[in-house]
Formats: sequence, structure tokens, C-alpha cells
Amino acid sequence: MRLVLSDMPFTEPLPQREENRYVDLSKKKISHCIGCFGCWVKTPGRCVIRDNATDVYPLIAKSEKILYVSRICYGSYDTVMKTMLERAIPIQQAFIRLHNGETHHVQRRVVPKDAVILAYGSRSQEERELFERLVARNANNMLFQRWRIEFLPQSQVEAAVRREVDAWEKS
Amino acid sequence: MGKILMVNASPRAPRSNSKRYAGLFAQYWKGEAADYCEVTPGKREEICTRAGEYPDLLLVFPLYADGIPVTLLEWLKVLEKQELKQKPVVHVLINCGFLEAQQNLVAVDMVRLFCKENGFPYGATLCVGSGEAILNTPFVILVKRKLKRMAKCIRAGKYEKELVTMPLSKKTFLKASEKYWLAYGEKNRIGRAEMETMKIEGE
Repeated sequence: MRLVLSDMPFTEPLPQREENRYVDLSKKKISHCIGCFGCWVKTPGRCVIRDNATDVYPLIAKSEKILYVSRICYGSYDTVMKTMLERAIPIQQAFIRLHNGETHHVQRRVVPKDAVILAYGSRSQEERELFERLVARNANNMLFQRWRIEFLPQSQVEAAVRREVDAWEKS
Repeated sequence: MGKILMVNASPRAPRSNSKRYAGLFAQYWKGEAADYCEVTPGKREEICTRAGEYPDLLLVFPLYADGIPVTLLEWLKVLEKQELKQKPVVHVLINCGFLEAQQNLVAVDMVRLFCKENGFPYGATLCVGSGEAILNTPFVILVKRKLKRMAKCIRAGKYEKELVTMPLSKKTFLKASEKYWLAYGEKNRIGRAEMETMKIEGE
């Protein structure tokens, strides 16, 4: 499976392919994680908050190619994407393992993935470098095998998404 | 003088470890007052206004998905827009469940960047590793020492970045954390096999 997870809508529909899934988070109802650990110790693998996030994190887990589209803020994903990523912890177990020499959570059935992050709205080089450090850390916790970040103005995001999706077809 | 506002930005603030860390910090604060509040959607602006009445602001929160929790992110975005009477010095007390306290540093730098972009002076940092469990172990003494030092440094205006974690090998930590989480599951009558399920949403 291949997944586009975006915090903004696109003006034109993306090409329909059986393997591709497109999720516009701006149209989803996704509450904040409440840190209850329910997905680890009460209903393992399932979030206790039954909103749209429960449709999205299984897609993240199943995808071998993933394209995140997000505004960035203070070197972080901005609130829409960050809220979803925080709600994705049911794809991990409570248990800890050693991974790349550090302690990290054990993953459930999560496919190792190639990730591309299209990040818009950055305000400085310092912010871009901090975001790069964040994604490098995410790679350990989200099973990124390879990743690439492209910083661009919001006006160029949609064209970049189409280019990346086209590249999936050719790979 | 000597007033500090502790802002708990944990997603589960009322029953969070961050609340316990803030409580310990308050014990060591020798100034006029160490006041405490919890970020909720309805209180974001009110807490921003309060922040302008203090010379020092201590943000207390957990690492979340490798960065600052969205609870804090949203509050900082509100704070950015406020006209404060004065901009307090911002300090960070962060904890993560991993052994390596260094895993918190990206989140710390997010707060630093917020400060730089918005003209807030940045002050002291304490990063806690194994933060989910350390308060319930004899190693809590190590945290208390660091908090005492942090409180003293903030009062003196001499800011440091400190890290603390359980002094365990990674192998021992893995065993200890497994025991911790199994006990957590048992409280809910969930055993190891269920906790280890590879299924996500039943698939």
C-alpha cells in the first residue's frame, strides 16, 4: 500500500490506483491523544477514542511508501499532522526494544517504509534543520528505511504531491 | 520577586507524571511562589495572561512522538499572539519513557526556537529519561537532586542544561520496563499475549 497523508486539501483529485490511499486530515475528525495508554494496556492495538484516527493509523502501518504533507511550526509538524501522529501509537506496543542502539517501542504489524515529507511554511533555516532532526528521530519510531524531506512554499505543494505520486507509478 | 509559574502541558495533565515532576520542583523552589496550572483548550488564553505576570515560566511536559505534545504546541501558538506585560524567562522540564534522556533534546530545541522567534528569553533545561517509571524507584533521589539544582540555578539566573535517567544498562532497563508494563496490563486484566498482539484494529 502507498499512502498520501495531507493536512491540506488539493484542488484536483489525485490519480486513482488500487494500491494508493489519499487522506485529507483537514476533513477528518481527530481528537487529541489523551495519554491513557489504553491502546497498550486495555485494548491493545485499538485506540479507545473511536474517531477517524482509527481509520488512518492502520493505513500508516500497512504502507510501504508514505508521503506526508504538513505545515511546520517551531520545527515540529503543525497541529493537524501532529495530532494524527500522536494518535498513531496503537501501532506500537508498550514494550521497549533496542533499535539502532537506543530504546524504542516494539512495533506491531508495521511495514518498513520509504517516506517523503513535503514540509511547507518554514520560517528559517534553523527551523528546517530542527525539523530534519525530528524526522530522523521519527525514522526510529515509525520504521522509515529511507526518508527525504522537501521544504517548499505552500503554493508548490500540490504539484510536488503529483510528481511524487507519479514517481510511485514508475518505480 | 521569585515567582515562577509551572505550566503542565501533558495531554493527561491532572493525572500525569508531569504533575508529579512539577510538585517535586515546587518543593525545592525557595522563592516567593511556585504556582501551577494545567493547559486545557478552555484555559489557553487565561494561562497566557497569567504567564505575563511572572518573571519565570517552567514548561513541564512529556516527549510525544519525538517532539512537543500537541497540547503544548497549540498553547505556544496562542502565547505567540498575546501582548504580555513582560516576557518571562522560559524553562523546560521534560520527561520521556525511554532510557536515553537525550531523546528529549529535539523537543527542547522546539521550545528554544519558539523563544527565539518570539522574543522570550530561554533559561534552564532538565531532561528526564526513564521518566515513566523513575519516580517510583529508589532512583527518584537522582531526579530530586537535579530538580533542587534546577530551582537554585533559576533563582540565581545561571542557566544549565541537565540530563538524568536511571543508571541502568540498556539490557537491565529493557527487563525493568517489561515488568513495569506487564504490571500495568495486569491491572486491566490484560496479559502479555494480548499486549504483544501484532494486530492493529483487529487486523
